[in-house]
Amino acid sequence: MKDICSSILRLLNKYFDQEVTPRERILVEDHLKECRSCQKSLKFMEELRSLINLQIREATQEEDLPWLWQKIERGIHLQERPTLWQFIQSWLTSSPFLKKKVWIPVVATLGSFLLISTQIFYKKIPSHPDLSVVEYVESQTHNIMVYEFDKPKVTIIWLFDVVDKDSTAS
Amino acid sequence: MKQTPLLLPIFVSFLLLTSLSYAQVQTRLRVFEASNVGSGIDSSLRDMGDQLKSLFSFSSYRLLREEMHTLYPNQPVLVPIASRREIELTLIGKQRNVAEVKVKIKQEQKDILNTQVRLSPGRTVSIGGPKHGEGVLIIALSAHF
Repeated sequence: MKDICSSILRLLNKYFDQEVTPRERILVEDHLKECRSCQKSLKFMEELRSLINLQIREATQEEDLPWLWQKIERGIHLQERPTLWQFIQSWLTSSPFLKKKVWIPVVATLGSFLLISTQIFYKKIPSHPDLSVVEYVESQTHNIMVYEFDKPKVTIIWLFDVVDKDSTAS
Repeated sequence: MKQTPLLLPIFVSFLLLTSLSYAQVQTRLRVFEASNVGSGIDSSLRDMGDQLKSLFSFSSYRLLREEMHTLYPNQPVLVPIASRREIELTLIGKQRNVAEVKVKIKQEQKDILNTQVRLSPGRTVSIGGPKHGEGVLIIALSAHF
């Protein structure tokens, strides 16, 4: 009898989880009708399971887990394959960084930074980079002046006679 | 198979010619005297008439010399101009629409002017000031490519 009980006990867990085959099920149920110790074992298993379930239920009720729920919800939404816009909207509403208190100063800072940087950038680039026609100019005998015009497109290099100081003094 | 030896030199010369034509620059040189003796603009300077009137206050413009020269990289071209002066033009480089040209004006072994200019289509570089006759000499340089 003890041998039968030990083999039934091995099946009892599977029977309790409803994972036995129909043949095993008949075998276990027939044995349970006659064996008190196995009935006790089954009852103990049932009590233990209900106790664990109760503990878990109480724990989840006491602990408010919105984060867990949001995650589950997001998982459900993802399974539904939302559109890109829906995804952005959900991200905007859920993300704490995109609350008005955060994004307004961030946008203002970025805007002012861009404004300052573009001002610097544009100052560095000459407005007429192709205007400089004369690369260098020198003369041994004359003073030189260079005039550059854009309309008409003319560059004038004008040579002036050097005035002799001695001759002007006398 | 027999055509291959002929095709190769043709192809090479074609490449050479295209590269040379890309490097060369056609320049127009006009030398004229500007003065306040008399009035009027020489007929060959008519296209520059409005420019000259707006830029200078001379009453008369008389063309002395007009020449077209093809410049090749680092090959100086010497052109005699009025009053024992001569102008030397050397193409230094060319990039898309800009040709860098070295300009030297010499008189009796002295450099009256030594400059390097960037010539682009439609732009004229005028060098003026040296005395000539009753007025001054003006050299107008432009490029076509």
